[in-house]
Amino acid sequence: MDHHADTHPCGGEVAPARVAPCGAGVVTSLDRVFRDDTPALQLRGLTKRYDDGTLALEDFGLEIPAGAFFGLLGPNGAGKTTLISAVCNLLRVTDGEVLVFGEPHDTLKARSWVGLAEQDINLDRFLTVRETLEYHGGYFGMDKDEIEGRAEEMIRAFGLTSKRDVRAPKLSGGQRRRLLLARALMHRPRLVILDEPTAGVDFELRQELWAYIRQLHSEGTTILLTTHYLDEAELLCEEIALIRGGHLIARDSADGLREHFGVNRLEDVYVKAMAS
Amino acid sequence: MTGLVWLCKRETLRVSKLWTQTVLAPVVSSMLFILVFGLSLGGRIKQVGDVDYEVFIVPGLITMGMVQAAFANNASTIFQARFDRYINDVLSAPMKTWQMSFGYTIGGIVRALAIGVSLLALAVVVVGVPIEHPFELAVAISLGLVLFASLGLVVGIYAETWDHTSFIQNIVILPLTFVGGVFYSIDILPSPWHELSHVNPVFYLVNSVRYGFLGESDVSVWLSLGVTAALAIPAYAWAQHLFTTGKRLKS
Repeated sequence: MDHHADTHPCGGEVAPARVAPCGAGVVTSLDRVFRDDTPALQLRGLTKRYDDGTLALEDFGLEIPAGAFFGLLGPNGAGKTTLISAVCNLLRVTDGEVLVFGEPHDTLKARSWVGLAEQDINLDRFLTVRETLEYHGGYFGMDKDEIEGRAEEMIRAFGLTSKRDVRAPKLSGGQRRRLLLARALMHRPRLVILDEPTAGVDFELRQELWAYIRQLHSEGTTILLTTHYLDEAELLCEEIALIRGGHLIARDSADGLREHFGVNRLEDVYVKAMAS
Repeated sequence: MTGLVWLCKRETLRVSKLWTQTVLAPVVSSMLFILVFGLSLGGRIKQVGDVDYEVFIVPGLITMGMVQAAFANNASTIFQARFDRYINDVLSAPMKTWQMSFGYTIGGIVRALAIGVSLLALAVVVVGVPIEHPFELAVAISLGLVLFASLGLVVGIYAETWDHTSFIQNIVILPLTFVGGVFYSIDILPSPWHELSHVNPVFYLVNSVRYGFLGESDVSVWLSLGVTAALAIPAYAWAQHLFTTGKRLKS
């Protein structure tokens, strides 16, 4: 199994994403993958046409640097979830190329580097909180000892200790959302994809999730966030891409977007971009 | 292989967590068949060939219980996973597609074996059923379980509602099983029912299992095993194809 994403080619545990290649010598394929300048995500000519003929993405190109906190904004049906599903091998790509840290997205190595928290709650109804995390770790090739320790760590980090042996359907909405995020992070992915993680979440939980996501990013993890909340995107994201109708409309920092569109607020950028 | 092991564990865990539904209920209903049909009708029918009637029906009832469980388990587990979309956790994982299809197949096989072993233990005590040809029995059971566990996966992947899975179970598999010689030898059937029984694939499975238990069969055991294998292999290949291509699993 290819689950050595967090192990430096020269040996030893390393923080994800921001790793310099070791010493002089022969440059291996792993060195290439771990180099700082390898983007976390590259989409080239990505096209997705669904079976009913809907064109969700058309010749879509995007590059997200390693270690970035990147926001994806767009109205419903813009193609955000389609894009994410393509990266995570959850749909059949019609055309184009998707690379995760330089590796084709459908390779085992690339899959092990991505963690996804989907927009809808999709927890296994037969598993408890602890089992949800352990089985996810197992699917992603973690060792048994590592799984147990990491699951407990995630349970504590997301305030689910009292619910560790409760099955997912019996959790509250907020607890399910926390578990969803904990599951996405369980296998220590280098690229975390959060599809509207704070949709329908109360203020307190949103603050908690923001804090955790920020901490994650500060440790070097690349974050791709989709959200409908413009304040959330502005607060968290270093760069924002606006997409509409399966096409990239604009991409810049929040300040850069305001300057480009000649407005003072991100809301106005959004309105202008979507109307153009 | 770690992912495969955990997927197999998950599918087995589901069976064990729901053991009253997944194992106990089918064992009770099959035992009722043995008691009601075997011990009550056994007084009138006495023997089929050289075998007491209550013993004659045991292999067919065990087969029926096992294949229905293998089918129902896999159809429901994959449909539920698709419906609730937690299958995405597996589809996005660094697992090969053969590991996914094999892992999902295992649950139905484990459940069917739990039912089969329980029924066998009870049947040995109640009616004293023998095992004359254990090798042929093991091959027949293995092929039958692969066939119906794979069909369960295929139906669960294609199904759009729960009704679709139960439709196939109740309208196709159950009738084929009942007319597959579970309760009788096709030698007693008049034409054309005798001939028509030979186009029922379950007939061959029931007969190969009966040969394993009793050493008696309406047709050659090798023909029965051949027909079952000829169906099991493409059924498994079909399930594998769906995982490989992502058809119906990925949009």
